[in-house]
Amino acid sequence: MKLVPRSLGGRLLAGGAIFTVLALAVATGLIGAILYRFIIGQIDQRLDLEIATIAGAVTTDGSGKVSLGPFADVPPFDRIGSGWYWQVQGEGAAFKSASLAGGTLDRPPRPIDRRGPPPPPDIVSDRGEPLHARVRTVLVGGDALTITATAPRGAITGPLRDALVPLGASILAIAVALLGASLFQVRIGLRPLTRLSGDLRAVRTGRASRVPSEQPAELAPVVDELNALIDQNAAGLASARLHVANLAHGLKTPLASLAIELSEPGRDPGGSLRPLVEQMERGIRHHLGRARAAAAGGPTRSFVEIALRIADLTSALGKIYADKGIGIEIDVDPGMAVACEGQDVDEMLGNLLDNAFQWANSRVRIAARARDRDIVLSIVDDGPGLPDDLMRDVLLPGRRVDETVPGHGFGLSISRELAELYGGSLQLRPGDPHGLQAELTLPAVIESLER
Amino acid sequence: MRVLLVEDDQGLAERIAAALRAESFVVDIASNGEDGAHQGATEFYDVAILDLGLPKVDGISVLKAWRAEGRSLPVLILTARDGWSEKVAGFKAGADDYLTKPFKVEEVIMRLRALVRRSNGHASNQLVCGSLSFDAQIGTFERDGLPLKLTGLEWRVLSCLMLRKEVVVERSELLERVYEGDADVESNSLEVIIGRLRRKIGHDSIETVRGRGYRLTAPSP
Repeated sequence: MKLVPRSLGGRLLAGGAIFTVLALAVATGLIGAILYRFIIGQIDQRLDLEIATIAGAVTTDGSGKVSLGPFADVPPFDRIGSGWYWQVQGEGAAFKSASLAGGTLDRPPRPIDRRGPPPPPDIVSDRGEPLHARVRTVLVGGDALTITATAPRGAITGPLRDALVPLGASILAIAVALLGASLFQVRIGLRPLTRLSGDLRAVRTGRASRVPSEQPAELAPVVDELNALIDQNAAGLASARLHVANLAHGLKTPLASLAIELSEPGRDPGGSLRPLVEQMERGIRHHLGRARAAAAGGPTRSFVEIALRIADLTSALGKIYADKGIGIEIDVDPGMAVACEGQDVDEMLGNLLDNAFQWANSRVRIAARARDRDIVLSIVDDGPGLPDDLMRDVLLPGRRVDETVPGHGFGLSISRELAELYGGSLQLRPGDPHGLQAELTLPAVIESLER
Repeated sequence: MRVLLVEDDQGLAERIAAALRAESFVVDIASNGEDGAHQGATEFYDVAILDLGLPKVDGISVLKAWRAEGRSLPVLILTARDGWSEKVAGFKAGADDYLTKPFKVEEVIMRLRALVRRSNGHASNQLVCGSLSFDAQIGTFERDGLPLKLTGLEWRVLSCLMLRKEVVVERSELLERVYEGDADVESNSLEVIIGRLRRKIGHDSIETVRGRGYRLTAPSP
């Protein structure tokens, strides 16, 4: 099977080419054979006529002497060495055409017998010319005479060649045209496949939610199955998230009760239980965040306008940190969109903004700009900032910089993990002139800028 | 301060209520969304704690219903749902603060006090009325710089008057904020408390407005 090309186009083209060439070769052979028989027929007719004329001219005088009556060689039987010859052979009789010029037609073939086997092989003259011969035996006055007439092979092959050369050329032209047509057909026929792969890429990168259903009849079932698969994945993702959320909810409420119980005097004399509860709490939050992040690798990417998300989140954070009176500066183009899932964008931005609001003295600045195929979001606070070594640590899972400030502290590492799942990144650097700058890079929805 | 606690987990609700009562809050518990929506819409509360995953009617719908009816009481959402999308949805429905389970009960108390203070229009934690000062965050009173010892009932009445200093607080409203819904209240008990408070902070500090209620005021020197 190694001979079969790997591409569908190659297979279709190779198949088409093989059958075109075979069909044209058979046609050429058939036409050639018919032409050959036609030309042979013409020549035979002419030779038979010559033989009949000669037979009519041969007479016998009753004493057994055979003579050739008034008879004149007509062209081309009069030209010496033309290949158009005749001879009469019998008892005491030998006549030859002028063109034979004293030579003989050796080994004359068997006489024609209509009911006998096919005509004899052609003969060669004593000059070595290949000849096509007709032979007939006639009875003149009781004597059997063999009359042979020949034509040069060239009288057959010449016209045959003359006919076959233009015929071959036109068949070649037909072959080229047919192969061109099948190339064109393959291109046209396979174009929907190229388009389909583009549509699938759009789904994967979040620019479309489904594969368009207007497809050629042969592809429609495939596309239906693909869309069903996409829906199934989305449903699976939603259900997985629901189960994780339910599990977390089921654990958190009793954990809250336990925490309150332990905070009552005398309930935790050794003081060892409260940290355990906090450890459990951190574990649940961490793994819930991880489960959300892990689920983000699925195909359900969509079109999320970040300006709207930032407006919602800063409005919420403004209430959470109402007493801090933080001023917010937002410089985000309303059309900018990222190809991520909405909940994940909320999670990434929410954690970063929460961190900024928590540490800021008076101001948080949010800006976004497009860079190549990405959108780079910058969130800067004017708080105390972070030392260099902590700036790396804080992005590691489960790290919390200040244990005294409420907050679960996994926010930054979860944001980083989510960003990386989308092919983006999260980087921290010192703010200008102080504070912390978080730079979140996410894949842009390019179309949004063109709409 | 009177708190409506809408929480379907009975154990957790009882524990939160106990912790809040220890800090002199008046607490009513509703164990499903339907009861919570009804109580919040028909009775006086300074603040509400609202769970989101509730039987019958979910927390977000309860909150939207209150806001649609024009109820402006501050609402703290207390839930296990800790995703930012859920937080945003909560604030969009009209929440004033959001805390996720599990939580430190001290954090809940701090946030409730801040919500009540802000809903009464005070930007700062330190409230002053004459020689009396109140730390709205910690919940302590001082008179002339010295700590003031108050019983639970006294604290409830005085904190309510302090948050609305120089404004007449209706007698019925004071009663609502001081006694829990099912408590058996003697008709003259509020007067008894006011009398005890006057002995502690000065007779002129609490003015009786006949037929209406009481007003905390800085006595003119």
